Amino acid sequence: MSLPATTPAPGAASPAWRGILYLLMIAIAVVSAFPLVWMVLSSLKTPAEAMQTPPVWIPGTPNLDAYSKVSELISVGRSFANSALIAGITTAGILVTSLMAGYAFAKYRFRYREVLFAITIATMFLPPIVTLIPLYRLVGSIGLNASLAGVIVPNLANAFGIFLMRQFIAGVPDELVEAARLDGASEFRIVFTIVAPAVAPALAALALFAFVYHWNSYLWPLTVLQGNSSQYPIVISLSRLLSYNRSAVNTGLVMAGATLAVLPPLILFVFLQRFFVRTITSSGMTGQ
Amino acid sequence: MSGFRKSIVAMLAPSLGLIAIFILVPIALTVWLAFTKWSSQTPFSTATFIGLDNFREIFGAGSVGRDFKGALVNTALYSLMSIALILPLSVLFGMLIHQADLKGANILRTILFATYMVPMIAVALVFSKLYSPSEGPINQILGWVGIGPLPWLSSPDTALVSVVLLNVWQQVGYFTILIIAGLTQIPQSIYEAAKMDGARGPALFGFITLPLLQRTLLFSAVIALINAVQVFEPVALVTQGGPVGSTNVMTYHIRRVGIERAQGGLGSAMSVTLLLALVVTVTAVFALARREDRR
Repeated sequence: MSLPATTPAPGAASPAWRGILYLLMIAIAVVSAFPLVWMVLSSLKTPAEAMQTPPVWIPGTPNLDAYSKVSELISVGRSFANSALIAGITTAGILVTSLMAGYAFAKYRFRYREVLFAITIATMFLPPIVTLIPLYRLVGSIGLNASLAGVIVPNLANAFGIFLMRQFIAGVPDELVEAARLDGASEFRIVFTIVAPAVAPALAALALFAFVYHWNSYLWPLTVLQGNSSQYPIVISLSRLLSYNRSAVNTGLVMAGATLAVLPPLILFVFLQRFFVRTITSSGMTGQ
Repeated sequence: MSGFRKSIVAMLAPSLGLIAIFILVPIALTVWLAFTKWSSQTPFSTATFIGLDNFREIFGAGSVGRDFKGALVNTALYSLMSIALILPLSVLFGMLIHQADLKGANILRTILFATYMVPMIAVALVFSKLYSPSEGPINQILGWVGIGPLPWLSSPDTALVSVVLLNVWQQVGYFTILIIAGLTQIPQSIYEAAKMDGARGPALFGFITLPLLQRTLLFSAVIALINAVQVFEPVALVTQGGPVGSTNVMTYHIRRVGIERAQGGLGSAMSVTLLLALVVTVTAVFALARREDRR
């Protein structure tokens, strides 16, 4: 009905007004990008420059000393490996459990389906702090405290994944599922070889959200891993940089650590952002 | 039929089992432990029932009550300020990106949303430096336009606001995407019809965009509230609840009492109170929205 090329959007107006809007856009972009740019620039400064008053904006002699200092103080490689294990295994678990439950909620009719689904969805809105104290003890009592397993196992399923998968699997034609059943395929086979490929973009988006969320998560690993620094993910190792010489914290050092922690999720996002955006717009939720 | 039932159970058991064990059971435990004296260093079986004593203490006049009420107020203030900043900004940004029809809008969207991918811990560390009164760039920039140095995180008057701004910076891109999704669902034909009737800029926004965006805004407010309650990293790392308790928020306080000080019963009573406060708030917001809807 409307022609996008010729119908002006409601906000479109005079050139002067457009100029103002452009300035506004640039201002927002600058403010938004500034902290990250500052972080990277500071990580390249010498310790003296990083602590200088008034602040030095551009490092005089850009160098990577802060990064090598970080790797002396914390085992960066091991922290990255721990983060990758936590985020990777958790994500894989979430994909499998969400796919199966999403399929059941979307394609089976059974008693209490709506009630079960409603209870599940309600957990999505629960701030983790509400359950933190007993959960900490519970994980300890099954022998998983101070271990990566303790960080991972409680997060292998979540309501958001189930909700998202149900939304998308509901759109998979029933005929497709019926045809596979007539061919004698088991329900598991149907889920993993017919339904999963049909909702691949949603699975990819869920994987990215879950990975970034669990790569970044801090409160739960900090609580479970107390005192076992060899299992720390990068975000917790990073916080330990602050405690080195707290009275005169080396800014460059902390910024180098922060840059390291930011890179993996940011790189993932830059390359795959359309999946993130599509998931938010179709579900309005985050990775948890 | 029984084969069918078996596959329902098999499909649901892994996820619902995990959710039951690691979310529903802990909620039940939290409620029970709230009425007990219990050290979180010891097994659940050592918890002894003490009735409402924990609640009396956290709402009492003693130091426990004072700290708890302080944390409750701080979290409420923090949430209110976050929502009050995030919603208008995300509507402004969303309209700019979606409706203004400008080149480069996608780049802005990417930059805004990229901040949401940054671990909160890194955000906290970077902002602790940006806010630094002497060697921080924010005060330097303010100095250029003649605004005197602000104490930011080091004064009880400004610390909580500083943490709010940090949070807004990180999250506003996410809510902008939500708003854009809401704007996309408003049919262009409504705008065209209104324009035929002579409606212009502010009227279009007030009578069409805002009312039709109401559901998105309501949803955004609830998500922003849930997120705000979870603020932890900047407090734990940068301010440690201070100065003078001004940034002592619920997540930080409950963890300190329940885990670090091992006062599991007391911490659980705090958790239950937080949960009730949240349920009441969210219910009230929805009830209010429904009444608005009917009008």
